[in-house]
Amino acid sequence: MSYLELKGVEKYYGDFHAIKGINLNIQKGEFVVFVGPSGCGKSTLLRMIAGLEEINGGDLVLDGNNITDTLPSKRDLAMVFQSYALYPHMTVEENMSFALRIAKEDPAVIKEKVEQAAAKLNLTDYLKRTPKELSGGQRQRVAIGRAIVRAPKVFLFDEPLSNLDAALRGQTRVEIAHLHRELNATSIYVTHDQVEAMTLADRVVVMQAGVIEQCGSPMELYERPANKFVAQFIGMPMMNLMPANMIPGQNDAAVEVGVRPEHFTLTAVGEGQLKGRVEMVEALGNETLIHLELEGSNEMVIVRQYEQTSVRPDEQVGINYDASQLHCFDAQGQAIR
Amino acid sequence: MSIKSKWTPSMIARTTAAWGIALLLLFPLIFMGITAFKTELQAIAVPSIWAFTPTLENFEVVNERSDYVQFAWNSVVTSVLSTVLGLAIAAPAAYSMAFAPTKGTNGLLLWMLSTKFMPAVGALLPIYIIFQQLGMLDTTAALVIIFTMMNLPIMVWMLFTYFKDIPQEILEAARMDGASVWDEFKHVLLPLGIGGLASTGLLCLVLAWNEAFWALNLGAAEAGTLATMMVSYSSPEGLFWAKLSAASLMAIAPIVVLGWFSQKQLVQGLTFGAVK
Repeated sequence: MSYLELKGVEKYYGDFHAIKGINLNIQKGEFVVFVGPSGCGKSTLLRMIAGLEEINGGDLVLDGNNITDTLPSKRDLAMVFQSYALYPHMTVEENMSFALRIAKEDPAVIKEKVEQAAAKLNLTDYLKRTPKELSGGQRQRVAIGRAIVRAPKVFLFDEPLSNLDAALRGQTRVEIAHLHRELNATSIYVTHDQVEAMTLADRVVVMQAGVIEQCGSPMELYERPANKFVAQFIGMPMMNLMPANMIPGQNDAAVEVGVRPEHFTLTAVGEGQLKGRVEMVEALGNETLIHLELEGSNEMVIVRQYEQTSVRPDEQVGINYDASQLHCFDAQGQAIR
Repeated sequence: MSIKSKWTPSMIARTTAAWGIALLLLFPLIFMGITAFKTELQAIAVPSIWAFTPTLENFEVVNERSDYVQFAWNSVVTSVLSTVLGLAIAAPAAYSMAFAPTKGTNGLLLWMLSTKFMPAVGALLPIYIIFQQLGMLDTTAALVIIFTMMNLPIMVWMLFTYFKDIPQEILEAARMDGASVWDEFKHVLLPLGIGGLASTGLLCLVLAWNEAFWALNLGAAEAGTLATMMVSYSSPEGLFWAKLSAASLMAIAPIVVLGWFSQKQLVQGLTFGAVK
């Protein structure tokens, strides 16, 4: 049996149907990431699990107990907020020990737990400081510390890295991954950043407009997207989509065919399966992205190659695709396998 | 050598204007303070006498004729109790409006403020009759209730605005940390909102202390506050300027002293939200 079960969970805001009957099972120790564009309902779903938003339909079961209508304070979940939401009038130590003090734990135990957590997060020297005396990264670590001190049933993360600059974001992401491996705690993590989703998750839940589009391991999503939305949402740059008639030998139901940028290769004019004109070349050092306009249609595609290139804008080139790596989609945008 | 003067002409002009306006506003108070130390004859002299030997006679008479301590005690009891009671009602109300607003919240706030649009005298008759029927005329309890009601809209508004500035996520974090509503209030909202609660309480204390209309109409004798004591010196036997001034001075002294020591809080309370 799963540890956390969402059974047909619904949310309405007046007439707006924000969450449309979500079913999801999360195993103990699993790291699940909710990802999707802004407004897809991922944060709402997380807040419903937390108890901060009311559940209007369906059931939420944690560890065998139905907690659909349980107060957030009684659910034994910990949450790390985007804004950190530290208590500004308390020191780092008081912030981290707050939950245990509320629960009237033995002060000696509290001290020990806080010190352990602080050591894990490199916060030992900052225990007596208040949040405003800390940098953004340190604040985020305090917020995480506040959660791990409690050893809750599930950790909830609501876009915890989006207030950090790019370098710190990468670093903290690695720290969270480490921490998860160490604590093996069940975690649900909301982000709109697919890099965070791909690197952290055991399982990624891709959401759009209040429904789950696909749920699976990062590689499963990348290699076998269930539909056009997932195909284009996961992967940077996006999967190229072309009309099916440009690529012969496809299933009759196929309307569009998708090819990831790295599954295209450039060749001399006249030699490739397709032809195109170079529009722009982005040399990023480790890889080169070549933007092309396909001949015979005005479709733009991006080709990724890991070597430097000598092609220049406006040059005509031939393009080959890897026929074993094509993704076909029907008129409804669903993948054909 | 020349040190550039700090006083530019525009600064001099502004400083002069500021002092001028302050004096203008304070003039009645200063005049009252001076008059309190004059004899009745000196007090009504036209033009005003500015050189005189100060006398404490008025204060003695006021003390003899009216029981200052009783009035002062009534003032303390009514203003403090009404403020405490008001905060106890307004804080939870403001909390729910700030952190769990509904469609009706804005309308409710506006409606509450609108009750201050009507002159108090408009509600005098029904309120007088209600208290009469309840046998509560001229009781401290009646004044506490009416002062509380009078200040509630202001209290809710001020606290609402204060609480609005506290990020909701901090309260949610406390909830996630296992805090009950009471824990949340005690450990998070109270420490973060203490400035707002203090400013609001202080302002309402001053308003209740200075309230005269309801105090006069509902509690003139036994429950009378200092405001009613003051008014008793403009009586049918004639106006006693010097004694009225002495009584007024004694009436406002405690609240002026309190205001002086808490002016920082008060100013913060009155200008909050002006600059984000």
